[in-house]
Amino acid sequence: MRYPLLHATGITATLLYAGFVVWVYATQPRTFKDVTEGARIASGAYKVDAARYDTALSLFHRGLFRAAREEWERADPARADARTQFYIAYALYREGWGRLYHDDALYGQGLQAVDRALALVPAGSLIVDDPDLKMHSAAELKAELEKGREKTWSDLNPLRVLEERK
Amino acid sequence: MKDDPARRRAAARALLLPLVFLTVALLGGMRVAVDRSFVFLPPPLVTLVMAALLSSLFMRGRLVRLDTWLGSRHGVLTNISHALTLIALFFASAQAFNSVLPEQGLLHWMFAFFFLWTLWNDQFSAFDPFRLLRSLGVLFGTAFVLKHMVLGALAAPGGSWTQRIASAIFQGLSLGTLDIPAVAPATGYISFFTLALYVMDLRPLLREARLLTPGERRALLKELEED
Repeated sequence: MRYPLLHATGITATLLYAGFVVWVYATQPRTFKDVTEGARIASGAYKVDAARYDTALSLFHRGLFRAAREEWERADPARADARTQFYIAYALYREGWGRLYHDDALYGQGLQAVDRALALVPAGSLIVDDPDLKMHSAAELKAELEKGREKTWSDLNPLRVLEERK
Repeated sequence: MKDDPARRRAAARALLLPLVFLTVALLGGMRVAVDRSFVFLPPPLVTLVMAALLSSLFMRGRLVRLDTWLGSRHGVLTNISHALTLIALFFASAQAFNSVLPEQGLLHWMFAFFFLWTLWNDQFSAFDPFRLLRSLGVLFGTAFVLKHMVLGALAAPGGSWTQRIASAIFQGLSLGTLDIPAVAPATGYISFFTLALYVMDLRPLLREARLLTPGERRALLKELEED
């Protein structure tokens, strides 16, 4: 056989490039920034902005949920970090929680965020060890958000005002 | 380094051709929306049928001679490398059609029918590689002008009064079934570049088509010896 190295290089380069083409069509990036961020995630080089994450966490602990959410969104623009997505969902839960009624739109966004968090963990379960939280697993948070969006007769129970926010 | 034509040909087959064909496959489905975001359209099923018909034409027109690309006289690596190049050619063809095919509506089917009819008729015509390449250039060129220049101008947002009137007449005549999506002008440039790249990448195949296969060479030598 002639030029084995040349053919081996050709095969490797073709397969890598074909993989990239398939990846682009599968992930549908909308901008060049999406392409570079997606490539960083695929190569394992993507990291959440730690400074922004910590700022968001302190805002969350001070009860400034909307500001915390926005800061977390900036810390994880590719929405590729499970823990950050969990906190965003939690912030949406706390922001949407009301003694008399819950904000369905915020709870809906919270469900989307918690679904993203669950999709990002390989085992499908996510535990966050934070003493400020009353729900530590993504599954608990998801169940609470789903419960908040359901319309049942118990919504009319006046004792509901005694329920505590988690 | 010694300039070896066989080495250059092998490099083109193993590296240049597949990478350029894959670039065509990448860009063929790329559109730029009016808000400048990218949209990547995978090849519709009908373009795969067109690519299959075109592959058959490549073989009938001897632009691709399978016996020179694949066979027991090549090693395993060479065969794999050549097979990948041919697969890349197939998807590049599908995406080249995708690039000039309107995305939806009646025009999508009209263009698809026009392509299929042309490719089907070509199956029964006598072709040499050069004529095939020229015919392909004309086919893609016509479709490009119709889609990106004529229809693109009619679907462009804003524009002059005459353009808007022409667009309204066009939509009215077709009973609103045309449904041309508005895209950014960059889409036309990308499509032009993609088609140019595709046709240019077929040219090395044309050069190779003129070379004799080992079997043909042996037969010719035998004939010469007999003379």
